[in-house]
Amino acid sequence: MQIIHLVHNALHAVLKHLPSALRSSHRVLFASLGFLAATSGHAADPELLSIIGKQIEQHQVVRADFSQAKQMAALKRPLLTHGKLVYSSRHGVLWQIERPYRVSYLLGETKIIEISADGSRKERGVRDIPGLAQVGRVFRAMLGADTNALQAHFDATVTGSAQQWNIVLQPKQAQVQQFLKQLQLSGGQFVEQIDIAETSGDLTNITFSNSIAAAAPSASEQQLLDSLQAK
Amino acid sequence: MTLRKPDALQQRALLWLILALVAVWSCASQMMGHFPLQTNLLALLPATERNPVAEQAVNKLAEAAGNRAVFLLGHENEQAAFAAARAFAKQLRASGIFSHVLSDIPAMDPKQISGFFQPYRYNLLNDADRIQLASDLSQNRNSLAERLQNKLYAPFRFGLTLSVADDPFGLSDNWLASLPLKNLQLEPDNGLLVSRSDGKTWAFVSADLPDSAYNGDIQHQVATAVSMAETALKASHPGIILLRTGTVFYADAARASAEREVHNISMVSLAGMLLLLYLVFRSIRPLALGLLSVGFGISAAVAVTLAVYGEIHLITLVFGASLIGEAIDYAIQYFAAHLGAGSDWDPMKGLRRIGAGLTVALITSLMGYGTLALAPFPALSQIALFALVGLTSAWLSVFLLLPALLRKPNRRNPETAVALPQKILLEWQHRISARACLLAAGLLLLLAIPGWLQLKANDDVHLLIARSPELVGQEEAIRRIIGFDNSSQFFLVEGEDIEQLLQHEEALHKQLSQLVEKNVLTGYQGIAAFVPSKRRQAENRALWSKTVFADENRLTQVLEEAGLRDEVAVAQVAGFKASASSMLEIEPWLQQPLSTPFHHLWLGQTRQGYAAIVLPQGIRNLEQLRAVAASLPHVTFVDKAGSVTALFHQYRQWSSLWLLGAIGLIFLVLCLRYRWQQSMIILLPTVLAMVLTLSLFGYLHIALTLFNMMGLMLVLGVGVNYAIFLREGGAHASATLAGVLLSAGTTLLSFGMLAFSSMPALSSFGMTLLIGIAVSAFLAPMLLSFDHHLDKRT
Repeated sequence: MQIIHLVHNALHAVLKHLPSALRSSHRVLFASLGFLAATSGHAADPELLSIIGKQIEQHQVVRADFSQAKQMAALKRPLLTHGKLVYSSRHGVLWQIERPYRVSYLLGETKIIEISADGSRKERGVRDIPGLAQVGRVFRAMLGADTNALQAHFDATVTGSAQQWNIVLQPKQAQVQQFLKQLQLSGGQFVEQIDIAETSGDLTNITFSNSIAAAAPSASEQQLLDSLQAK
Repeated sequence: MTLRKPDALQQRALLWLILALVAVWSCASQMMGHFPLQTNLLALLPATERNPVAEQAVNKLAEAAGNRAVFLLGHENEQAAFAAARAFAKQLRASGIFSHVLSDIPAMDPKQISGFFQPYRYNLLNDADRIQLASDLSQNRNSLAERLQNKLYAPFRFGLTLSVADDPFGLSDNWLASLPLKNLQLEPDNGLLVSRSDGKTWAFVSADLPDSAYNGDIQHQVATAVSMAETALKASHPGIILLRTGTVFYADAARASAEREVHNISMVSLAGMLLLLYLVFRSIRPLALGLLSVGFGISAAVAVTLAVYGEIHLITLVFGASLIGEAIDYAIQYFAAHLGAGSDWDPMKGLRRIGAGLTVALITSLMGYGTLALAPFPALSQIALFALVGLTSAWLSVFLLLPALLRKPNRRNPETAVALPQKILLEWQHRISARACLLAAGLLLLLAIPGWLQLKANDDVHLLIARSPELVGQEEAIRRIIGFDNSSQFFLVEGEDIEQLLQHEEALHKQLSQLVEKNVLTGYQGIAAFVPSKRRQAENRALWSKTVFADENRLTQVLEEAGLRDEVAVAQVAGFKASASSMLEIEPWLQQPLSTPFHHLWLGQTRQGYAAIVLPQGIRNLEQLRAVAASLPHVTFVDKAGSVTALFHQYRQWSSLWLLGAIGLIFLVLCLRYRWQQSMIILLPTVLAMVLTLSLFGYLHIALTLFNMMGLMLVLGVGVNYAIFLREGGAHASATLAGVLLSAGTTLLSFGMLAFSSMPALSSFGMTLLIGIAVSAFLAPMLLSFDHHLDKRT
């Protein structure tokens, strides 16, 4: 009979974790990438969204360089990070920071793996991290061009053309609005820039350059991405 | 005209009338307004724990969950599942019965929980950080710069987090992440709590009851409201699967099935009994008198049970319905005497002739039920009390009421009425010698041996508690979907004061964490994970002081190099100094709305000090958990189901000894009236019946339970009656045999019905009685061969 009580526990627990999960920048990255494959009913121009979505959807694997600038109240100057992104619609995401120090993150549907410069790994599963499952779900929603999951979270306004577009995403749920003011994505064939504005005043700006589409990950990338599948 | 003075018979009848009126009045007044029927199956279970606080904990856990109903609505299409969940919740709300219906989860301030712990953050460290900081300290290392780097650059931040200014090294974030908050697969989605499994999306709805799930009115209202909401749901959202669980559904199902059984058993046994009575006596009078005597017996039994227990358990009620068949036996003997006497009938003489036999029979029955009362199960002692009072009252009716109302001799020719029993009697006495009887008994014993060898036992607790398989299936599905695995087992931790308690719990947590690493457990929940002991808090603070705040200049330097504003270091140092006297205590945590879901873990003050519960999850090896509890003082592993099973086992083994003892005792009672050889012979058919019943269970591969043994006690108490009645029959032997056959018939009818009860305890009980009594009645005429034999010798 304790089942009922524990359900109640979970309810509280999960509620508390959701917003922080959404706050993470990769969550936003996924949501935005995913959004492109989706067609939102709330969009100003559903047709354009649909075109952008199809344009992104056709890439199995995308490689890009990224630079991230983070402005936080506690910091004197923006925090700069540079690295490489490998995005595979089938496997997951490889986020490799190269400067100021080397560390890689692998993100899949069921787990997240942190690989330090010395090769040591730290792995955490969906069940350990509240909110990670949602990320995986949005990820799957993107692969399946399932608009429902994203529509639940954001209102979208799209401007520009298929060659140069800009999408502003505003959180619908009060829960998310508490910490997230707005997301902005822009790009052409690929996503080129993501801006995240938090209600605290923190700003994150990620720009992607040298984006290349590929049919499959390289052997070494594949090896890393495979570890997301291993039990 | 003078008023005729009532004769002795009328005075007796008057006394009966007064007693009967008192019984009926007492029943009526105690049932006024509502019938105090107890449907709580837990109330059946005996106290098993040596530690009274453990029993208290078991009840607290059951109560915590008892008054809530949980639903999952599933569909392949998630939008359909969401819409259905909202529509269903709306229907439940519209019913107005539930105090609260939860479907859409309210927006919450995520900073509430981290905000609560923030003032105490320099007293808190998770296990991994405590070990790491201690080892850094001993090896003169410093991991602060690295920690700061991780906090700043990690692209992913999950869970509860403090800002960089409040927690630059992520130590508080790590502590918050170690809180055992998440243990289920439910996630918020579209404002609902959702789980995905079996290709379906399941949405969660829960409803709180305004009162106890064991309140009969509540059960009825909830059942009606849910079934109406379900009907509406099936019409508006086709293809939706609705799963439910909750104490209220189990209690309602148990009540409905008990009511059905009481109805069926009493109807069938009453109808059958009346038919048998009419066939033998061909008169309405015995029918009416029999009903009066049984009616008095049952009302007195209900009145006394209610007066003693304040309520009557449904299992007692079902059993009570089957007592009708036994309670009427005494009246039947009187009717048989009436029939046998023919025109020589005198009510008091008739009573005197059978009186002694009836009394001995009552005593043996009372002894049979008396042993039930000794069993440590509340359910069985209530049944025993019910039977003791019911049978005594029925017996009393024969002495008080029947003589006054059965004055006229029987008009039916006794010869034709007892023609068949007469024939059996003569045949038996002429054809079957005492020697043949002994031979047959020996042969039956031989035949019984292979059956005995195949006997197997079953002591599972579920024998007592039968839950609706339909509901159990749904609960299992819900458990699987939301990822909650059954755990009625828990650790009870105690201490003289709160500090001691928390220290003992921390010692347990340490061991359990090792078991989690070894995959013996998936996790555990305990209050000390939220509020460490003061000793632990002081140790944590010392580690902060020796590492982070060991060198203020170095701290300032590390933060500055990473680009943090100068104020951050100043605020950190000031914050640490200011918090020197702050201690996280249990009370403020318990007052936090966020701790509500964990209140069941805290038992608070008990007679022995303070107590708390630690709830293990995903248990793979019970023995290792028991070993952990055994190795730690002040920690008890509580496994209610396991304890009850162990108790069943123990008492089943003891019950064989009890049975032998009871046989000896009844033999002694019989020796008060009969010679010892006769007493032996009176016992023989019943003992044979018991032996054969056990053997039959072996042949049929029916596992032996404590309740079979209890049934055998009664076979002994009731079966001996038949032999006594026959022994007492004397000149009216054939009428007595008719009576015995009739008694056996009515008893078999009612206990036979009990064998079909959905409650396994009652059904094994009924099955044992059915077989045992049938065999004792069939073998009872054996006595006649010996009587004949003994008579000839004397």
